[in-house]
Amino acid sequence: MANEVQAPPFSHPRWQLWPGLVIGSGLLLLAGLGLGSLLQASGASDAGRLLAGSYFQNVIRFTLWQAFLSVILSLGIALPVAFALNRFRAFPGRALVLRLLELSLVLPTIVAVSGLIAVFGRQGWFTALLDAGLPGHGWNLYGLNGILLAHVFFNAPLAARILLQALETVPAPRLRVASQLGLHGWWLWRAVHWPALKPVLPGLAALVFTLCFTSFAIIMTLGGGPRTTTLEVAIYQALRFEFDFTQAALFALCQLAICGSLWFLVFRKRLDTAFMPNRQLSQPASLVRGKWFGVACGLVLAAFIVFLMTPLVAIAVRGLPALIPMNEPIALYHQLLPATARSLLIAVPAGVGAVAVALLTLAAANRASGRWLAVIPAMTGYLPLIVPPLVLGTGLFIFLKPQLGNPMQGWSLVALINGLMAVPFTLQVLRGPVSSLDSASKNQADQLGVLGWYRWRWLYWPILRRPIALALAYGIALSLGDFGVIALFGSPGQPTLPVLLYQQLGSYRMTEAAGTGLWLLLVLISIFASLSGVSSPSSGKGSGAIKPVPEPDHA
Amino acid sequence: MLEINQLCFRYAPNETQWRFNITVPKGQCLAIQGPSGSGKSTLLSLIAGFLSPDEGQIFWDQHPIHTLYPWQRPVTSVFQEHNLFEHLDVFSNIGLGIHPGLKLTPSQRKAIDSGLERTGLAGFGARMPGELSGGQRQRVALLRALLRQQPILLLDEPMTGLDPETRAILYDMVLEEKQRGVTMLLASHDNEERRTLADIQWNL
Repeated sequence: MANEVQAPPFSHPRWQLWPGLVIGSGLLLLAGLGLGSLLQASGASDAGRLLAGSYFQNVIRFTLWQAFLSVILSLGIALPVAFALNRFRAFPGRALVLRLLELSLVLPTIVAVSGLIAVFGRQGWFTALLDAGLPGHGWNLYGLNGILLAHVFFNAPLAARILLQALETVPAPRLRVASQLGLHGWWLWRAVHWPALKPVLPGLAALVFTLCFTSFAIIMTLGGGPRTTTLEVAIYQALRFEFDFTQAALFALCQLAICGSLWFLVFRKRLDTAFMPNRQLSQPASLVRGKWFGVACGLVLAAFIVFLMTPLVAIAVRGLPALIPMNEPIALYHQLLPATARSLLIAVPAGVGAVAVALLTLAAANRASGRWLAVIPAMTGYLPLIVPPLVLGTGLFIFLKPQLGNPMQGWSLVALINGLMAVPFTLQVLRGPVSSLDSASKNQADQLGVLGWYRWRWLYWPILRRPIALALAYGIALSLGDFGVIALFGSPGQPTLPVLLYQQLGSYRMTEAAGTGLWLLLVLISIFASLSGVSSPSSGKGSGAIKPVPEPDHA
Repeated sequence: MLEINQLCFRYAPNETQWRFNITVPKGQCLAIQGPSGSGKSTLLSLIAGFLSPDEGQIFWDQHPIHTLYPWQRPVTSVFQEHNLFEHLDVFSNIGLGIHPGLKLTPSQRKAIDSGLERTGLAGFGARMPGELSGGQRQRVALLRALLRQQPILLLDEPMTGLDPETRAILYDMVLEEKQRGVTMLLASHDNEERRTLADIQWNL
């Protein structure tokens, strides 16, 4: 008989189930509280008249229209890019291009927008080219043009990354068969590519739609007039300037209803999107290529890279002189360094919290049985996407009634909400790796009694170390770039980096804004660089890089 | 004595039901043969507790074990493949069988090292499973099973697809265990394997 060991720490199933359930219900409660307290604070008022008003209908119409166009454009651009990246694996810098695509997820909106303005704005490079080649073109960045451009800038890379990942899950044997049969054109698409893309497309479209539907900072900077306002901005304006809680609550309910029913449809079909690759496949077979195929792929990729890079280059070119000033080097950093400290003070706890919540939620989702119990952890992953953070924040604010003049309370509130907002993204990064433990390993672990803390330490932690570092980087970065919640609670005298940038943009101190933008970009890159240094266990000793898992050799 | 008493199982409500009635005396090896899909692996999974039966009982030494969790049952399984945790080195893979949190005494560490030596894997402790051949992986899996010193060993085609030399090493290891009084169930297609290892043969 093996020596009888004590039950491993935290091995009771409740440790997997309850924390996630508590967090999920807490989030639901928070959202309910936010809406409830808004409605309560608003008192009796005329909801029907508000909903029938032309302002409300204009806002709804514009929000839907721009989100719809953004989805079409983003997916339309992402699809050829993903194809080109899928078919061309051997060109130098492919890994860098993939990093560039991932960067778009965390690039603070306000930084990207300032880059886009530098390229496409009135005095931008692109506009200058257009002026020279096509006088009287009437291009104007502000309005629908700019909103769509910015949405494509953010969402096309994200969509391309997800589509590429879907294309890479085509099983190697199927590719070999297609290669041997010489499939090309329509039948290659029907037999190989479409089956791989079909399951992710609805979820992806819903994700892009939600991100554009709830877009805030882009609309604030590039749109903003009554003709180009989204619900999220209307909520902000109602809360911040008009103190009209009824209107804010009603708008928030509309947003919840529209995005919620969209996700409900996606869920009904049991579709899922994963943001990050979670498996490596063996060497793909080569497929039939047309004569111009390579040229077309190269052109698509080059155009897309130029589109993504020019705003970043513009930020760097304009920001460098501000960061390395000749005459008075201290003045700029007087503002930058405290703002960085404040940003990190909010972002690091938010990132850590987002990772912890994601892990507990995944544990609960794996453990939860029964229809209703399983809904709660699933909600945690999607609710933050569709509940306006401002509503959560305002609800908490009204509920907790923190003393004004104590910035710490406001900041911890901001950190909490930013953490929750990052959960859908950290969750997606971690979901694949958590479920990558196959049932054979789980059975083995059950038999050996590797449970609770021991299972986490010896089975999950080695697999999850790298994804956790990545998720942490995303969590911190998303929170670092946040401009939504902080705009409501932050005090203008003590800005975080994005608020400082917004203030500088707002007062037309463009050189300083460029410097702040570049600084924020550099902070983000250094966070990613330091956290991607975390190594996976198998690369630590002996073998070097992770090898693709070999197919089992049968008898 | 391992007694399996009217054990019933079906994967889905309208699929065929399996019913098992077996007795294996202590220290003997029962070989089960039958075509693929005849329920060999199902039976072994039921004994290990990976599947739960619709009805019936399993007794070990007159104690019911079908109510226990997999980690509480006095059994160790070795499958045809996927026995090892791919992200842990050989030493940790074996060590987790002795203590599920890898808290090993010096003598247990020595036992692992000498076990590796005995099976021709001296110095392989720091290797990852991915760097081993199929035969080497099975030797590690079997070594872990033996070091667990559980009274029941469930072998689910553990030697299928291995070369004759590796088989010979594994046969020796299994037979030595049997001599120590371990009770075994062996699912196998292979005549030679059953002849070498089994005391009783049973057709499904």
